[in-house]
Formats: sequence, C-alpha cells, structure tokens
Amino acid sequence: MANEVTVKIAGEAGQGIQTIGNLLANVCHKAGLFIFSVNDFESRIRGGHSFNILRISEDPLIAHSEKPGILVAIDEKSADLDKGGLAEGGIVLLNTTEQKDFPDHVHAVSFDELASSAGGRIASNTVAAGMLLSILGAGFDRLEKELSEQFSQKGEKVLELNKKAAFAGFEKGEAVTFPGKFKFESSGNGDGKVLMSGAYAAALGALASNCRVFSFYPMSPATGIMASAAEFTDRLPIVVEQAEDELAAVNMAVGASFAGVRSLAATSGGGFSLMTEGLGLAAMTETPLVIINGQRPGPATGLPTRTAQADLLFTINASQDEFPRFVLAPGTVLETFFAVKKAFHLSDKYQVPAIVLMDQFLCDSIMTEKGKLDVDGRASPKTMECRKPEPDSDTAEVTEESYLRYRFSENGISERRLPGTSKALVRSTANEHDQQGNITEDAEIRAKMVDKRHSKIEQMKEEMDPPSFFSKESAVLLAGWGSARGSIMESCLTLRSLGYDVGWLIFHDIWPLDWDEVSEIIADRKLIMVEQNRTCQLGQLIRQQTGIAFSNSVRKYDGRPLYPDFITENAKKIMEH
Amino acid sequence: MVSPEDFVNDVENKWCPGCGNFPILDAMKEAFSELDLPPEKLFLVSGIGQAGKTPNFLNCNMYHTLHGRALCVATGAKIANRNLNIVVNSGDGDCYGEGGNHFMAAIRRNIDLTLLVHNNQVYGLTKGQASPTSALGMKTKMQRQGTFSVPFNPMAVAMVSGAGFVARGFAGDKEQLAGLISGAMQYRGFAMIDILQPCVSFNTVNTMKWYKERVAPVDETNHDDSDLAKALALVLQDPEETIPTGLLYRDRRSGMEDFHQRLDVLKKGSLLDQSIDMRTFGSLLP
Repeated sequence: MANEVTVKIAGEAGQGIQTIGNLLANVCHKAGLFIFSVNDFESRIRGGHSFNILRISEDPLIAHSEKPGILVAIDEKSADLDKGGLAEGGIVLLNTTEQKDFPDHVHAVSFDELASSAGGRIASNTVAAGMLLSILGAGFDRLEKELSEQFSQKGEKVLELNKKAAFAGFEKGEAVTFPGKFKFESSGNGDGKVLMSGAYAAALGALASNCRVFSFYPMSPATGIMASAAEFTDRLPIVVEQAEDELAAVNMAVGASFAGVRSLAATSGGGFSLMTEGLGLAAMTETPLVIINGQRPGPATGLPTRTAQADLLFTINASQDEFPRFVLAPGTVLETFFAVKKAFHLSDKYQVPAIVLMDQFLCDSIMTEKGKLDVDGRASPKTMECRKPEPDSDTAEVTEESYLRYRFSENGISERRLPGTSKALVRSTANEHDQQGNITEDAEIRAKMVDKRHSKIEQMKEEMDPPSFFSKESAVLLAGWGSARGSIMESCLTLRSLGYDVGWLIFHDIWPLDWDEVSEIIADRKLIMVEQNRTCQLGQLIRQQTGIAFSNSVRKYDGRPLYPDFITENAKKIMEH
Repeated sequence: MVSPEDFVNDVENKWCPGCGNFPILDAMKEAFSELDLPPEKLFLVSGIGQAGKTPNFLNCNMYHTLHGRALCVATGAKIANRNLNIVVNSGDGDCYGEGGNHFMAAIRRNIDLTLLVHNNQVYGLTKGQASPTSALGMKTKMQRQGTFSVPFNPMAVAMVSGAGFVARGFAGDKEQLAGLISGAMQYRGFAMIDILQPCVSFNTVNTMKWYKERVAPVDETNHDDSDLAKALALVLQDPEETIPTGLLYRDRRSGMEDFHQRLDVLKKGSLLDQSIDMRTFGSLLP
C-alpha cells in the first residue's frame, strides 16, 4: 500500500481555502513529498462552496484523488456536503463553536477561537494548517520554517501571531488520532522537483523563451498565466499589458512579434474565439504568434471556473480558410513549461502560429513533478528572433535592396527581417500578397502563395512528438490528450492490477502529426477514448486522419475534474461487456 | 536629403481616379521628406478599407493588417521597438466603427503614434454604405430611408478622452495637411488627424465643393490650440455650417507622459534591444 493521504479543505469562497492548502503543500514539498492539489471553485468571490483537494504521497504522483482521508470543513455546510465522500476511516475537522454530540469521526474545533486567543482571528487558516500537519505527523519545526519564509516580510508581529496560531492548531491536532495509514516521512528537501501550477509553468516557459510582451484581457482560467508573468515585471524587461479586449490583445502580440519581440496572448475559449481573426493575420503574414487557450466549458460563457477539453477541433480549425499551425497539449506542469518553449521556438522557426491548449484543471492545479526547469542561457535572442531559414537550393545573394519578405523558397520559409533595423524594407499585408509583400490579386501568385505556406507542413510534422504509448501487448488502449494524461495513466495501472489487458495512448503534440505512426500503433487494437467533451473530439480526429474508428468512450463534460476512479469504473463496464 | 520621390513605388494604385486619397498620399510624402525620414525608418500600419491600402502605394516598411485592428498592431510594434516612426492609415469605418474601442484605448494609452483617419463619411471599399460619420438621414443604397444614427464626432471624443494632439485636415488643402502630419509625427504621444476626404464614387453629398464651402482653417484665426474648452467648442459646431480645420488642440502642459515614459522598462530603451538575461531569470526561479 502506497504511503499517501488525501486532504480536502472545503468552505466558502473567501475563507482562505487556498491559503491552508498552499501552506500544507509547501511544507510537504520541502520535506520531499509529492503533491497533487486541485482547486474546485465557483465563479464568485465570496460564499458558495469551494474546495481544495490535496493528495500527498511519498512516491511520485501522476494524478489527483477524490476521496479524502481528512476533510477540513471550514463551514458546517461543507461537512454536510462533503462527508459522504470520505475515504474509509476518514475524519472530519469541523470548524464550529457549536457544542453538541458529533459522530466519532467528526472533530469539532473552532479555528477562529483558537486564532483569537493566539492574538488575531485573521490567523485562523494558520490554525487549521497547524492542526492538519500535526495530525499528519509533520514536525512543528517544518511549519515554523515555512511561516518564517511566508510572513517574515510582513513584520515580526504578523509572524509571531501566525507562529502562535500554528502552535495552537498543532497542539489541538495532537489529541486527534487519524486512523489512516499515512506516515509523514521526510525524504529530502524537494530538490530535483518542482511544485507549481500549470499557469505558473506556462508563464515561466514564455519567459524562458525570451517572451517580453504579454498582452491579455482577463479571462478565467488563463488570467493566472498573465498574473504569474506579471510577478516578474520589476525584475525582467517585460511589458504586461491589459488590452481593451481580446482582439486588441492578440493583435498587439502580432504587432510586437512583427517588430521582433516575442509575445504571448493567453485566454480561454471565448477570448480565443475573438482571437481567431488575429490568428489568421499571423498565419497570412507569416508572423510568429503564440497563444495559450486555457479551456473551460462553453459555449459562450459556460462554466467560467470549471474545466473541459472541448476546444480541440475548434483550435485545429480556428479562423477562416486553411493554414498550417502548431497545436500542443501538455499534460503536466513540466510538460507545460516545455510545450510553451517549444511553441515559441517552432512558431519562430516556421513563421506560423502555435497554440498551446491547456484547461482550467491544468492551469489551476498545483503539482510536484520530478525534473528541472531548463532555462537556456545560450540561445542568443537575435538568432532566436530573426531566424534565417535553413539554406535551400536557391542560393541567390539577397541584398538589403533586393530583400523580399515572401521570397519563394523550397521549404516555404522566407527570411524574416524586422522593420526599421536595416535598409531592407519589410512589407506585409493581410491581403494576398506577392513576394515583396504588396497586395495582389494575381491568380498564379495567389496559388503559389497558398502552396508556399502549406509547404511547411511536412517539416513541421517532423518536429512533433508522437503520442506516448503503453504497452505493446495491450489489445485495448485508453486514449486521450492533454491534462487527462495523469488520470488515464493511473486508471490504466489500476485496471492492469485488476487483471485487465489495457494500455494507454496519450497525445501531447496534436497538430500537425505524422498520422501513419499513429495508425501503426492503433491498427488491430480497440480504442476507448477518454475525453472531457461530449463528442470525442480526439477520437473524431483520429478517425479522420487514420480511418480507424474508436470503439468506446469514457466522457466527462460536467465541468469537474476527471478522476482516475471515474475512468476505472466506466472502463470496467465497457470491457466487461 | 530625402525627397517625396523616394516614397514612390511601382505598385499599381487601386483608387478611383480623382479619389480624395491621392492628395493625402502626396501630403504624406511631403511630410516624410520634410522630416528627412528615409523609407527604411518609416513604418506604416493600416487597417482595411480604401484608406487601409495606402501603405501599399508608398515605398517604405508597411503592415497592412485587419479591419479595425491597425491601432492594436501598431501599439504592439511600438511597444516592441520605440525607435519605429509609426503612422497608421485608417478610415472612418475602420477606426470609428470596427475599431472604435481600440481608438479610445489608444488615446488613453497615449502611445506615440500618428493616426491619419481618411474620413469620407461613407464606406468606399464595400460600395457606398453609411459610415459612423455619415450625417443623420443620409440616404444610400443600403440605408434607403436614410441613416437612423447621429454621426460620431471623433474630434470631440478624442478631446474629452485625453488625446494630446487633435487635428483636422482636408484633402483639398495639401499644404496644411502636410504640415499637420509633420507636426503630428514630431509630437511625442498619440496624435490624430481626422482628414476630410471627398469620395468621388459613393458620396454625392459631401463633395469637394461641399467641404470647400464649409472648411475654416484655424491658423487664419487667433485660435489658442492649448485651450481645450475652446477647441471642444469648435468641434461641437454644426458641420453643416462650418468645419474648422488645422491643429485644434495640442496638450502643451509640461509633464504629459506618453506610454513609453510611464513604463520603467520602456524608458530604458527599446524592448527589442533588451533581452531577458537567462542567468537573472534562472536565479528568480523557485
């Protein structure tokens, strides 16, 4: 049995659920434990019902879990709503002043009163964190150290209050016996691992790519990406500009990129709908552009703070007419960091738009992952940003005077220069254009320009990673993409331990792909699609590209995270038929 | 020395003969040569419409973008490279209709660009529908009973929104227009010139003659262009009676900062020349 525990902190919005969760996550991370923490909240600032569910484990985690061993109910409503979902032997810490007989597994305690006697009600979240860590068996010194790091800048008084509050909670926790199996054992200090949200990882990926213009219009769940980048505004040469709307955001990004500075537009499906026009501009004028679409359920406003994977086909086809683009769908925080870096690199190299598909689950979940953020100081920005194409057969000497922005070349890529940086004139139009970049309606040139833009696709395919696949022997594969990765993999491992012959097929890079490679994997196997949309969009795409139809599906489109147990239960039913 | 000839290129012009855009094109060339700006130092950005085509007919850097979005693209480019001399060519439909929100935001940002709005009070490229500046009741093939909306007043909106350089030009007065363009380009901050431009094909009301009977250059009066209230009063007059032209308002207060002066990173220099130092970035990582 794995040494792990799941803690759920539930209450109203504005009660500090995330504060408790983050304290807990940081202490555990620094003790070398692994965290997978999911935030589930409503589109409101106060009230309602929200929760943070943290899975803590001695071994690496690939997914979150649903049933808590410990439920912290900050309000009584949360205890009622959530205790039905407790794991066997689970306990509830109920924040209440009420004196009545509660069942044995419910421990009534008033975080507020304990905080007040420690010096301030404001520290009640710290009381809760202290109590939790004490029950989990962490030493008080760990929490004390974490509090020092978090509160020392706020002054001695604030720090002392929080330490006292934490201790009050810690003492209270010593009287509680947790029947669960978890043993808090430190195995290092978190080195060689990262703990962060997908949104933060995305921002770091952009910064590591020397992206310096971040233009956005606030929209959940992508706002966190821009907020993360904004944390660096005082220390790095970046401009984070809140535009008047998504149309402006994407077109500013295109403008900055055209002038030679890498830029990012991040949004969710609704904003991405508005950005499709700018996406077309980037494509037509072969201007590098990276957009992150943090998906949420739609259409229209949908469920603003919830999760979905229903923009795949839209993203692959967004904007009128047809043009090459990259679509990448990372599944973890480190994958996100590298996917964003890859998007910037490829968008520059091929002068085509690149879209990174994330979702609320990936943006807002915090996870520990083994590995390192690779910040490459070697690539000089000049070569990164004004990339000359690979030499082709046409070796004609190009002078500044004879420079043609859209010169026909064998590989479809023309040399990109920047306006105002040399005597070469950089001319471009969203209308169809000739090699010089001037507006034209010439039929022959039009067809040649379409061919030029499309001729990049074969090389683009070679840049893509094939789906990850396990195992060669399995006759049935659970297939999915993006952030569903972890839940699919964990469910698959569970099913295998139960004797089912099942593997997985997980897509990270989605477009363009070498579909022959995919065909080889899936020929003669049964595919069970696992997707967070109604119509199995990846399944449709696979069928369109390979001619091979999936046989079944596990779908979830209620806006809530995809839990491994949900997949396991549904996949079992399918395979038993 | 740069001459107007330097901006001539061999791209076939696609405007109607006699179009009010031709004198605007000439005035631009004159202003650029007067400022001694060679083609490679200029960056023209435009939207869609007959005005949007303008950069195609000039020899210099250009980005002919999407309907309504020229100001956004230009803003991004200026943020990236503050050394670019950016002129935006737009029209009444492009700037005040499709791009209205961007127009207001560009004024508030006070980004250092020159905006030329070719305002012919009609849609030319799409063949004669009413535009945001068409007079109430103007009849077109599409607005058969006349327009139902009052015209947008770009000058007044620009002034009350905080624009620091608000001018009105007239295609029938090239000399005044060239002077205004050159003044706008020298102004540090957002500078707009709304240019009255007769459309010979689709606007039979606001013709060259119609404009000539109404324009009143303010340089021939003792207009104080630093007086916002007076400038506003001028543009609130009934255009059926008189249309003041020239530099109507210029913010002459000291300390008025443009977008780049408000941001520490852009004050230091062009963003294009500032890269993220990966060692610094690495040291900031968790």
